[in-house]
Amino acid sequence: MGRYLIHKLASLVPVLLGISLAAFVLGVLSLGDPAELALSQGGYEPTQEQIQAMAHQMGLDAPYPVQYLRWVGRALTGDLGDSYSSRMPVAQELGRRLPVTLKLAVCAMALACAGGLLLGCTAAAFRGRWPDRLIQAVLNLQLSIPAFWLALLLILLFAETLGWLPTSGNGGLRYMILPASVLSSATMATAARLTRSSLLAELGRQYCTAASARGIGRWRLVLRNALPNAIVPVVALLGNSLGGMLGGSVIVESIFALPGIGSYALEAINNRDYPALQGYVLLTGAVYVAITLLVDILSMLLDPKVRLGGRKI
Amino acid sequence: MESKKKFCKLLSLLLALTLVWSLTGCGGSPAAEEPVPDAAPAAESTVDPDAEIVLAGYRNLAPGEKDGYYCSKILYVWEPLVTQDDNAAPVPCLAEDWEMSEDGTQWTFFLRQGVKFHDGTDFNADAVIANFDRMGIEVKSSSFYPLDINSHYPNLEKYEKVDDYTVRLTFSQPAPTQLYNMVNFGSAMYSPGCFDENGDFNGICVGTGPFKITENKLDEYVLLERFDGYWGETAKAKTIRVKVIPDADTRFSALKSGEILGVIDLNAIPTSLAVQLEGNSDFALTTTKSTMIRFLTLNGTEFPFNDVRMRQAVSMALQRSVITESVYDGFGTPTTNILNYSTPFYKEFPVEEDLEKAKELANEVLGGQRVTVTYLYNGNEAAQKGEAELISSWLSEIGIDCELQPMEMTNMKEQMKTGDYGIARMQQGLSNSEPATIFRRFMLTSGDHNQNYSLGYQSDEVDALMDEASAALDMDVRTACYDRIQEISTQEFPVVPLFNDMTLMAYSTKLTGYDAKLYGIELPLVAWKQ
Repeated sequence: MGRYLIHKLASLVPVLLGISLAAFVLGVLSLGDPAELALSQGGYEPTQEQIQAMAHQMGLDAPYPVQYLRWVGRALTGDLGDSYSSRMPVAQELGRRLPVTLKLAVCAMALACAGGLLLGCTAAAFRGRWPDRLIQAVLNLQLSIPAFWLALLLILLFAETLGWLPTSGNGGLRYMILPASVLSSATMATAARLTRSSLLAELGRQYCTAASARGIGRWRLVLRNALPNAIVPVVALLGNSLGGMLGGSVIVESIFALPGIGSYALEAINNRDYPALQGYVLLTGAVYVAITLLVDILSMLLDPKVRLGGRKI
Repeated sequence: MESKKKFCKLLSLLLALTLVWSLTGCGGSPAAEEPVPDAAPAAESTVDPDAEIVLAGYRNLAPGEKDGYYCSKILYVWEPLVTQDDNAAPVPCLAEDWEMSEDGTQWTFFLRQGVKFHDGTDFNADAVIANFDRMGIEVKSSSFYPLDINSHYPNLEKYEKVDDYTVRLTFSQPAPTQLYNMVNFGSAMYSPGCFDENGDFNGICVGTGPFKITENKLDEYVLLERFDGYWGETAKAKTIRVKVIPDADTRFSALKSGEILGVIDLNAIPTSLAVQLEGNSDFALTTTKSTMIRFLTLNGTEFPFNDVRMRQAVSMALQRSVITESVYDGFGTPTTNILNYSTPFYKEFPVEEDLEKAKELANEVLGGQRVTVTYLYNGNEAAQKGEAELISSWLSEIGIDCELQPMEMTNMKEQMKTGDYGIARMQQGLSNSEPATIFRRFMLTSGDHNQNYSLGYQSDEVDALMDEASAALDMDVRTACYDRIQEISTQEFPVVPLFNDMTLMAYSTKLTGYDAKLYGIELPLVAWKQ
């Protein structure tokens, strides 16, 4: 267990270095001059002299390897550099925005877990009957509706028409309901489908047939007997989705005016703000790796086969 | 057994989360989460004039300490020495009066007396000098305009205090139109105490305006409070909260649901949404001239647009009023002049559109052949697609087949720089009312846009007129030069202008004084309707 953890943590370093380098190279390869973009906000078009002065000020006149090494050197001390466009320290900006994204992701994950398991179990329990078919139809809808459209529909219904919830903004749980519902929609559907299929596979096994023959009720069979065995792949799926939710909430954050790291990344891409982008990639990469680690540990706890690494008892 | 126990715990946790979720969510209780401003005390028969007014824009109007200006002019927190009237002519603000020396190299500004900054310090010549010292440290980037002393004060040799309320600027070259460079963002004044040694703000900025910032939650909202010690007429509203809602549809929903009472800033509301409010007595629209002009750039470094007749043909083949009416719902004014209509130097020219003449001109250049060109447009602006389709249908009639290519703006500019395009849809804002910058950039052979957009435009007459204008101390001579350059632009088309934009904002009719101005709205006049 300890060795496994150390091995996982050690693998974090090359992964993070690799993704930071990839982010830097992609930034350099993409068209657009950061100095020009830093000056040309609000429709203003800077002159060539202004651009050159700003490029020097931003250290962009140094060779690329020097720029990258400078950044890595500072990153090791926790300094992710200053954003080209806002001139604020990137670490500080990410620190300010991360709680918003975390709050959104945790809310969305709670919804996805609860909804996914509930729908998946119900569908499996009523296999082939109308509740199953209804749930399948809802899940297909959830998977096929684009997030931005769902967001606009929910705002139109619950905020603009009914006035039950705020349209946007950062605040308490009430402000998170709509964005979390949108963000969790596809994950919830995937989790529900996976739960259903895993459950059905388990329910077809002999121990379930035997239990059923002994007169155990349908719900008891699903929840007490089949679900503990069927849940491992669902936990892995949900864990990996959390990483996606943390890094991929760009559209949701933008529509619901949530100042999280997703909207920060979007601004950084538009402004060719390399330090901000590298900081974002590094952070989401680290979080992703950490979550994968947690999911592995959770899988070990839930499934003895994973814990024992194939060894016989 | 053990794993089952763990599983039960996990399941209980999930169920508990669901319960919490349904209680907090479906219960619909707004609870005491955080101080959500109650924007609309609509049910009350009498309106509290001091109730908070909530507005929203698409971006941070107060980007904070690292921004060269801390906040936009439209928040009325800081004031400039020189501002502008509705026709974009320079008028006094913190400078009460001014005079130019006979040779045009010295400008003396007489400052308004009895003005105090929000922190209680006096506004005087020392404060102005401190602001100039700060501008001289380095170019400060900003979400609005770069704070660059060389751009706002070209050829400035020195600035000096003459007495407590007089400041003199000396230039190495005659600067007869210097006032235009200083309008609004060109001469923003802050209390010297709010800068650190690098010239960055050390906290919330302190200006002399009718509002002061009491709270600035970046990317969420900025809270403004009336400054009772204002030198002029105090603001009507006591507090105004300006939220950041980047998405236009969400802003629109927030307006309709009463969460916000008005939208401000650039891109406040798309025309397609604005028309939905027409006829709704709860909301009103306010429009004024915008400083933005929309145009097509043609790659003049290559055939066929290196021939002026082809550029003329393109301009004549367009039906600009169809574009403004059908794509922009009437919120635009067709033009063929490169200069935006918000400057007092603007001259009106008839918009000549004649398909038959366009066909003749194009035929002379193409010799009966057809040509295929790439038409680049900004893929992030939905309306540009429809506009491009309209334009390409008209151009196909004069022998030009367009391959439409939506692009991200930055990449598009890079492609234009390489000259690998035929037509591109661009826009340009007017940073100040002095049009020399626009002419220089688009029409001088060495102009940066002329080169970066591969316009390939060259005119000895324009070069000579620009020299003459920059040497002229007499405004009439300068105006005559500018008139002629505008006329040339409508004949030779360094770019093919489409239309001048309109600033469009929407607000709830619970408010009064919500009138669009050339730059934002006059926030101090906004109040609850009694």
